[in-house]
Formats: sequence, C-alpha cells, structure tokens
Amino acid sequence: MQPVPDNIYLPQIAILDRVVEEIAEVKTFYWHFEDPEAQAAFKRFLPGQFAQVSIFGVGEFPASLPPSPTEADLFFTVRKVGSVTAALHALNPGDRFGVRGPYGNGFPMRDYSGRNLLFVAGGIGLIPLRSCLNYALDNRDRYGMIQLFYGARGLKDLMYLGALREWEMARGFECHLTVDRADDQWTGNVGVVSSLFKKPGVTVPVANTTAFVCGPPIMFRFVIRDLIEMGFKDQDIVSTLERYMKCGVGKCGHCCIGLAYVCADGPVFTYGQIKHLGEVI
Amino acid sequence: MRARVMDKAHWLALIDRLRADFDEVIAPFAGRGRDTYFDRVTDANRARVPLHVPNPYYPPKRYVLPPIERLLQIHLNSTPRIQAAVDAPRRAIVGIRSCDTAGIDHLDRFYLGRDFRDGYYAAHRQNLFLVNVVCTDPEVDIDDDCFCMCADTGPAAREHFDLQVMDLGDELLVVAGSVTGEALFADPIFRKGTPAHLARRRDILAHVRTRFKVSTSWYWSTVKAITLGEVADSTWERIGNRCLECGGCSYMCPTCTCFTVTERRLGPDDFERVRIWDACALGGFTRMAGGFNPRRAAHDRRNRRFFRKLAHYFIQRELSVACVGCGRCVEVCHGDIGMPQVVEIVRRTTAESAHAARA
Amino acid sequence: MAHTLTTCTFCGVGCGIYLESAGRTLTGAYPSMSHPTNQGRICVRGWHVNEVASSPDRLLRPLLRTDKDFREVSWDEALGYVADRLARIQAKSGSSALGVIASPRGSNEEAYLLQKLARAVLGTNNVDHGLGAYRNHSIDVLLDMLGVPATTNSIPELSESSAIIVNGVDLGLQLPTIGGRVLRAKLRGTKLIVIDPRRHRLAEHADVFLQLRPGSDTALYGAMAKVIVDRGLLDLAFLKAHCRNVEAFLEVVHAYDVLWAADVCGVPPEAIEAAAIAYGAGAASAILFSTGVEAYGNHAIQALINLALLTGNIGKPGAGVFALTEHNNLQGVCDMGMLPNRFPGYVPVTDEAGRKQFEVLWGAPLPTRPGQGADQMLARRGHGAVRALWLCRHDPVMAASADATEVLRQLDLLVVQHPFFTETAKFAHVVLPVAAFGEEQVTFTSTERRIQLVGKAVDPPPGLAPAWRQIADVANALGAGWEYLTAAEVMKEIGRAVPAYASAGYENLTREYGRQWPCTGDKPLGTRYLFEEGAGGRRFSLAPIPRPARPPVPPLDFPFTLVFGHSLYYWHQNVLVQHSETLKREYQILLLDFPEGFVEVSVEDAKRIGLRDGTKVRLVGTAGSAVTAARVAPEVKPGMIFVPFFHREVREALGGNGAAENGRVPVHVRLERV
Repeated sequence: MQPVPDNIYLPQIAILDRVVEEIAEVKTFYWHFEDPEAQAAFKRFLPGQFAQVSIFGVGEFPASLPPSPTEADLFFTVRKVGSVTAALHALNPGDRFGVRGPYGNGFPMRDYSGRNLLFVAGGIGLIPLRSCLNYALDNRDRYGMIQLFYGARGLKDLMYLGALREWEMARGFECHLTVDRADDQWTGNVGVVSSLFKKPGVTVPVANTTAFVCGPPIMFRFVIRDLIEMGFKDQDIVSTLERYMKCGVGKCGHCCIGLAYVCADGPVFTYGQIKHLGEVI
Repeated sequence: MRARVMDKAHWLALIDRLRADFDEVIAPFAGRGRDTYFDRVTDANRARVPLHVPNPYYPPKRYVLPPIERLLQIHLNSTPRIQAAVDAPRRAIVGIRSCDTAGIDHLDRFYLGRDFRDGYYAAHRQNLFLVNVVCTDPEVDIDDDCFCMCADTGPAAREHFDLQVMDLGDELLVVAGSVTGEALFADPIFRKGTPAHLARRRDILAHVRTRFKVSTSWYWSTVKAITLGEVADSTWERIGNRCLECGGCSYMCPTCTCFTVTERRLGPDDFERVRIWDACALGGFTRMAGGFNPRRAAHDRRNRRFFRKLAHYFIQRELSVACVGCGRCVEVCHGDIGMPQVVEIVRRTTAESAHAARA
Repeated sequence: MAHTLTTCTFCGVGCGIYLESAGRTLTGAYPSMSHPTNQGRICVRGWHVNEVASSPDRLLRPLLRTDKDFREVSWDEALGYVADRLARIQAKSGSSALGVIASPRGSNEEAYLLQKLARAVLGTNNVDHGLGAYRNHSIDVLLDMLGVPATTNSIPELSESSAIIVNGVDLGLQLPTIGGRVLRAKLRGTKLIVIDPRRHRLAEHADVFLQLRPGSDTALYGAMAKVIVDRGLLDLAFLKAHCRNVEAFLEVVHAYDVLWAADVCGVPPEAIEAAAIAYGAGAASAILFSTGVEAYGNHAIQALINLALLTGNIGKPGAGVFALTEHNNLQGVCDMGMLPNRFPGYVPVTDEAGRKQFEVLWGAPLPTRPGQGADQMLARRGHGAVRALWLCRHDPVMAASADATEVLRQLDLLVVQHPFFTETAKFAHVVLPVAAFGEEQVTFTSTERRIQLVGKAVDPPPGLAPAWRQIADVANALGAGWEYLTAAEVMKEIGRAVPAYASAGYENLTREYGRQWPCTGDKPLGTRYLFEEGAGGRRFSLAPIPRPARPPVPPLDFPFTLVFGHSLYYWHQNVLVQHSETLKREYQILLLDFPEGFVEVSVEDAKRIGLRDGTKVRLVGTAGSAVTAARVAPEVKPGMIFVPFFHREVREALGGNGAAENGRVPVHVRLERV
C-alpha cells in the first residue's frame, strides 16, 4: 500500500456549527473546516460552484454553495431526498462530516459587470442562485438593476425570506414573490413565477440584462419560453444544472450529459449551451 | 525508434528478467476452449507464456482501474479517521495487444489529463510496464471481431508501450517505447538488428493487414451523423430495443471509464468507500436521489454510449475515438449492437434518409 | 490471482462464468466465451456475482435464540441443539410435524441430502422447494404428456429454430441470456411470436405479438391448434407414430374458433392465424414458457404442449418445449426429489416398487403418503401444522407469495441455513451460516438439464462448512451413520438414486461444460435434446381440452382487469441482490420512485383518468379495495392493471386466492383517484 498524493477523492473534516430550519425537509447547515488552512483554501470559491459532502459511513452527495464568497460563514442548504441527505439532516452541532471542493465552473461574475441581473427561481431553485445574488449585492456598484422573481408552492415553501426582506430594504434590489396556492396569511401575488413579469408596476429590462433561472423542470421550461418571448437571447439566460454525481471532478461519468460533464464543465451553463447539450430538459 | 533483435528461444529469459525486475508479471494464458485470461506468471506457468494467443476477453483495464477499488478507509469516532492508500505493485504485462495498449493510453488521457488527476489511477499506471506483442499470426491472434485497423490502433501499436515484441519467425524484433524499456536492451539476449529485420517487419505487417476477417467499423460517417444530430430518434430506439441492459459492453471496454462510489460496512464503526465499475446501459446510472431520471429509456442510454464515444467534441477533447477496435463489445452483446454494428446501422439509416430526402 | 470456471448462481440459464480471485477475495466475474449456453454473454447479475460472496455482511458463527436476541454458539452446540430438538418434537408430535424446504438456489447435493434427511431419518414427506405449487403444476403436466418434467431441447439450438413462441416470460429481464439468443435468432430470420399481457422488450421485436387478456391463454392455444389442423400443418406421421389421444384431441379442437378466440383474447384474428402458421409451418419451432411464479394453470400449459405434439416439434434440434426455470437450480432440486409427492427422479412416493428401491438404497423405511407442500407448511396453523421447519437457504418472509411470519413465529423449532442474516432468520431458533457461492464445489442443474459443477474459487470464511455437510452432521447426530467425505461422494449416490444422473460423476462433469441429463452409462456425454428416438417405449399424450367457457366480461362498474404475478420485479427482494451495490441500485429503481409500491396503468387509461406517475389511486373490486400509486406504463394494454409480484397488499386485498394470481380467475376492479 502506498499513499495517494493530491487525492481528489479525499474529503477534509468539517464541523457542524448550527442548523437552521428553512422550510419543510430543507435545512441550512453552518459549518467550518477543522483545518484552518483547508478553510482558507476553500474560501476562494466562486458563486455557483459546489462541493461534495460526505457523511462518513453513508455516502457522498453534491451540494451547491449558497453563501457568497464575500460572506463570513460557510453553509449548505439541503433538502432531504435520499439516504445521505437524510444522514446530514440527522447531524447535531459539533458532529463531523467531510467536504471536498469547491468544484465546477461557477458564474463568470466579471462578464456580468455593468449589466442588469434578473434572477428567476422556483422553490429550492433559489439555493444555487443565492450565492450569485448576494455576491452581486456585495458588489452593488458593478451591476445595473438587480431583480429577483421567486415563486413557490405556498408561503411555507418560500426560502431565505428573512434575508430577502432585509436585502430588499437595505441594498437596492427588487424582490417579487409569488405562490401557486395562497393561504390566509398570503397577501401577495398568486400564480406562476413568470406571471410576475407582467404585473403592473414591474418593468423587466431586456437589453443588457442577464437572466438567471433555476427551478423544477416544468417551471424552467415555462420561464425560458417567456424570457425568449420577451426578447432574451439564449446566451443571456444562465442556469445551473443538477445531476446524479459521484465524484464531482469529471471522472465517474454519471453527470455526463450531451457534450458536457456537468461537474467539471458546469454546473453553470447558458441556455444556448444547454440547448446544444441535448437530453437536458 | 530503438530496436533490437533476440532469438525466440530467449523469450523465457525475457520473462524471467521481467519477473526479477517487477513485483509481478501478468500475461495472457490459454484456458479451456477459446477462453484466455490474464494471470500472474508463476514458477509453474512461466514456460507457458504464449507469444500468440487469442486476446483475453476480460481486458487488462483492471490493472489500472480495478473493478472494485477502495478509495477511503473510514473509522467512525467523534473525530472520524479517514485513510487513503492504494495497492499498486510494480507490475509488467507481457503480451498486451496493440488495441489494449491504445486503450490504456486512452484511459491515461482521461484519468491523468484535464483539471483533475486521479491519484489511484496514476499510482497503478506509474508502476505498470507494458510489453506489447504484435498480432502477427492471423489464425491465433486475430479473430472475427477484431477491427483495430479501422480504429487505427493495430495490428502493431506505434506508441504507448515500453517494449514491443514482434515475431519474425526464428527471431523476435523488440522495439523500445520508453527509457525504462530501452534500459533492458543492456541484457545480453538482445543484439543489434539489420535493415533486413526491418524489411521483414514491414512484409509481415503488410501481410497481416490483408488477413483481417469479418468486423469493420467505418466510424467517420457515423461521427458526422452523431455530431450533426442527424440520427433519427427511431434509429436510437431500434438500437436501444436490442439492449438487454447487462452493462457488459462497458465492463469489457478498454476505454470505458465510468464508476460509481459507495460506502460498505467493514465492522461496527468501520467502513470503506469503494468505487465500482459502472455502465451507462444500466437504468440506475443517472438516477438522482429523489427520483428524476433524465435518461429513463434504454434507447436514450444507448444513444449516450455512442454519443460519448463518437461525438466529434469528445474525439477532439480526447484525441481519439473512444474505441480501440478490440471487438469485445461485439462478443459480449446479447443484441448484436457492438460498436461496428451500431456504426453500420447509423451509417445506413442516415444514408437512406438522406437519399429519401433528395428523392 | 486465479480464474475459476464456474456456473452463475442467479437464474436457470446456467451461464458459464469465471470468478477471478486473489487470496480470499473474489475480485471479478466475467463470462466464458466457450461455454455453449452463453458463449461470452451474461446479464448484469452475472457481472456482479463476485460482490455477493465478498459481502462484509456475511454470517460467520452459528446463532442460537435467547430470550431477547441471539447468541453466537459453537458448531457442536448448534448442530447438537438442532438434532436434539428434532428428536424431541418427533417423539412428541410425530414425524408429520417436521418439514424441510430448500431454496431453488441451493445445490443438488444439499437438496438431495435434505430430502433424504427428511424421508429416511425424520420419516416425513413434508419436503418441498421454495417455489412450491407454482412449479409443481408444470412438473405434473410435463410428466403426464411427455414423460419428462424438463425442457426438451438446448438453449444454443434456439439459434437454429425457424419459429419461437415466447409465452408469459419477460426474457429480457428474467433470463437475459436466453432473451439474447432469441433476439439474435430473430435478427437472423427466425419468426418470433410473443404472447404476453405485457408489452415487454422482446415484444418489440416480435413478428406477431399477441397481447392477450389475462386468463385467455387456453382459448388462444386451442384456436392456434385449430388453425394448424385446418391448414394441414399438423405432423400426421409423428402423431401416428408417437402420440395417443389424437382422435379425442382432434375432436375437441374443432370446437375452437379463431373469431371467437380473438374476441376472448382481445387480439386480432389475423394475428392468431399468423402466429399459428409461423409456428406450424417452420421446420423446427420452439415454445418457451415460464414455470416460475408466473406459471399458468394446468390447462394453459397442456394446451401449449399440445401445439408442439401436434406439429411434431419434439425430438429434433431447434424444436421442443422449454419449461424455463428462473432459479439457478430449480430443475436440480426437483430432480433431487425436493417435492412432497416424489422421490428423487420423480418416483411417486405412493409407488410401492419405487419406494422399495429407495428403502434399500437408504437403508430405512420410508413414509408412504405424500407430505405437505411449501404452501401448506408455511400457511397451515392448528391441526396438522408442522411444529419444526428446516429452511435451507430459503427466505419465505421475503420470497413467498403469502405472509409466512405468523406460522414461523409459532414453530417449536425453526432452523435456517443461509450465508446472511435474512428476514426469515429473525424468527429462527437456530441460524446456521453456510458457505456461499464460490466457496464450495457442488453442482447445479440448469433449465436445459445441464448438470454443471459450481467451482470453488476461494475458501469460505474460517469455520463455515458447505450446507450439505451440516445436514449430514445433523443426520449423523440422529444416528443415521452417513459417510460422505466430499460433495463428489454425495453426487455418486445421486447417480444411483436418479437414473438420469447415473454417469454424471464429478470427473465426467469436469471434462467439458457439465452434462445434460439423461447422462447415463450408454450416454455418458449427456443428451442435447430429448426424444431423438421417440417417446422411449411409451407414447406422448395429447390433452383434449374442451373449449373453455368465455371468461366473464368485466362488469360495467368494474371495467379494469388485474394482471397479477409476473416476477418482473422479483429480484429486488432477493438476498443475493441486496449484497451488490450495483444490483441493489438497478433492482430498486422503481421502489425508490414508488416507495409504497405501485400498479401499472396503460398510457391511454392514464390520460383518460388523469393519472401521472405517483398519483394515488384506489382499486375497488368485489373482494375488497386497496390504495396504492399508479405508474404509467406503455407496456400495459388499456383496460388492464398490472400488479407486480411483490405488491402483497394489493394482491391480498383484491386477489383473494392463488387462482387469481395464476390468471385463471380474472379479477375486475374500478380505479379511482384518491
């Protein structure tokens, strides 16, 4: 047996600091690396990158990085969908798990300088966009208008509401919310997320705007259709894809769709690229 | 090209020399019937290492990418202890065919290239010494399903070996493809060759090239059709319906790279994380936790395999078609949809539909 | 590194594979190119078979039940306990209170010794294999009509068949190596006729696909026979020379009518004609049907075999009747007499002369009346119930069609032999861990009668013995005085007990790729296909089946017919599958998407009712109702609802009894969105 230098499959030990319940089955996990050097190296991640999270003895899964690199904290927001995510949900503060990364291409934030940013998210699709949004707000003067259109099934399914309200007040961006089904407490818009575009008082600039879209496949298809109708060009619509992944570093082959390994060539793609990948939506 | 000549009678001496130099020497051996397999050379079988033998069905890929390989050993505690080590003996393979040599080269470019270098693969590969034997006996070395000529990988590899041995009759022509290979030429069994030896080599290869049998694979019109998206869904459906989802084509393929990763329990607090060969033919290959499977139907999965191997983008990225012409996928397939057959189905159906469009 | 030629342990095809091993570990598995049956092909299960024996979850020490749990004990204590308890229960409740069930996956050697233990030592015919009655229908019919309860021909011959009927078995998923044979034959010009309520993979390739209503098989085969007779495609010379009941058969066939059958079966009359002509006109046509959990009632099997006799498709290469076994050694355990009513070699226990021979061979008086089958042993409570049960590799809690836990819980003694701690083992008094596949040299008999060696590639974990040896140890503790040193010696005795195995000693089996029985003194190389020289001193028997009554039309308020039982998703429960990561993933895909089970609804019906994958539905029948999820499946025909084998809740709520499962009594339901 011999050691494996620069082992791309070796996770670093992370320690769970605290857990915040976001919505049903979705929690945010604040954590830090046991090794300060690993922490410093990891903190150079880009918005839109992801990490491989290990629950030892159970397995590993890819998780997007919702914090902006400009934030102090590291955290994941994860929905309980399978055995490994369920094991993460069962951890308590102080418990140790593993993290590898950051991986993937991330959003080319520099390319968006001077442009308007339009974020369109459905449900937990806001998780992978949060980093980009907060990064833009932390570098507010580099970008034009920043808007978020965010829809979910009901009020109970809207995420990060506290942060969104706070950012809306203090940091110069428009946040429009909608739900599919309203309950007694809901006074806002009811309908699919793209119905917000045509709401009175809402102007969505098309020229010089990059749109970020993330959400369930059905929502994705409809939003893209509406954006194209409004005049958006394929290359100005950006999304981040999620696929079954085992390695995160372009080797295992599970996330290979069409012409790309989502983990290494993505997960951020323009709609123009996605169309040519084939077999995505 | 550094070349030497040795007497065929010294073949065993070369084997013994390698056994002295390496932790283990692997060679193909004849088994029952047509079955041949790679096995360790031992005191008992060293005299039976063949120069000519049908290429083993189970490819030598597993010496760089074992079917099951431990990535991590995990001991759970309040602070988990994670250990990573690789078992990579210094190993020589004597008798690897030119197609399989090209296969290992393809794996090299995939696992060692791009942004991330796979340390496990690298450890196996660094310790691996390849003695390529040229297929010169059409009756034994070349079977119906070989098509290395179409893949441009044989019958004689041009590179990627440490030594290449070619049977000239009474003598063996030995070519060095690496510094370590060339170092062996210091052994007194080797002597300088003459231009006549090289001429003999050319003649033999020219003859062998005329002795290929049934399989052919005209990739390029299919590469074009796949790259331009000209292959009709109905063609993929026809191909996919013939796939019985055994995964054999991937397991047998010298260039297939995919694996899955899983955790296995070793004891109450001990686990190992292993990677296991995986196959895109299998339904669970792309399934995500939570159920959304973007490639549910078998024909989409077949499309995937051949797209990955034949789309021009990947050929450029990896510098070759991900097929070395060994013919194993033909022999392993329940539904006769190995590479040459799929290439032919795609070529013919696209030609037919183009013809119909013109008419 | 070593390469051991062996036989795959998953299905009845008996593919030749190599196990690659290093030290104690199996490092890989791959197919043999030269093995005549699979010729270089295996299925996904075979590719991962090495993971099973190397599983870290293996049991390593015998377990004895304590008040709360189990404790590890020595082998002496465990085997002594078993012998002692068996003797006590026998003394108190009689031999009929004891029973044994072997898995159709176990070896010939262990099956033979287990039934010998039951009969010669414990004095009971309560002997069966895990599939029980499902399989035993086919055995009775085949014995009655052909005289031999097995596939008549060889799998490689399918490449030469002019027409192949595949009836009621999804070969692509269940027996892929045969599926591939059939598919490749079809690509080379063989006519393929697929008869199935489900449109499975091979149906996509069929020249004629008859997607018939469940329960209408007999009508279909009768009508096909009618077409064959009317068109003069029957083989009169063969019928005259080799068959009886010809007159009676031809008489009832005239009562069948293609238009009537088309209506009953729900298929076009032209398709029935085309299928009959393709089958009857071919030079050598084969019929493939399943004898596993999806087997039909006696009449359907009889009507199928009638077709083969009528057209003389018996006794020549490429023809024949393939009674497919889905388990690696179902054929073998039946040959070994793992049946409640038959000794080894299918000698009826009621046959006095036959019984005498076994009494001489085994040196003990033998019980004279048929015993209980697995279904009875696992279901009967109160009077006549067994008190002690020995399960060799069988896991009824997961595998049986009915809930066995109630019975298991009430037993005075449950002995479980298994490499793993199964669901059934939880109810055991004694668990005996056994050597697993690849750790012992034994034999399996495949669905083409091929008796094959299963090689030993690695040593079992320290302390573990082959299951057959544990059986012998218990027999000896009960005073039997058995003296088998090796499995080969057990096989030698099998050769004396089963005439068809007479020359199938290990030495002979080693030479090539096993031998197909009959493997006898005058045929030491075995028999590729049966009846080359006719029926062997008897006549084949046609079964005149009167035209069945038209199955009831679904009542207006119950418009759907349930299709039960195909074992399509059977494998996910199999304990072997559980120990390979890849197989677990592959066979659980649907369960991950439908964790509470599902029934399949056709695309058309789903659209009409507004169902999507996962929509909760309630099935309401006359016997009861059940709530489950819908899965929209293009394989299913409108008007049918497919209930997978494992979905016990739905079966029990609506099916009522086993007759419904076997498609003999259609169950009608209506479907409501919840």
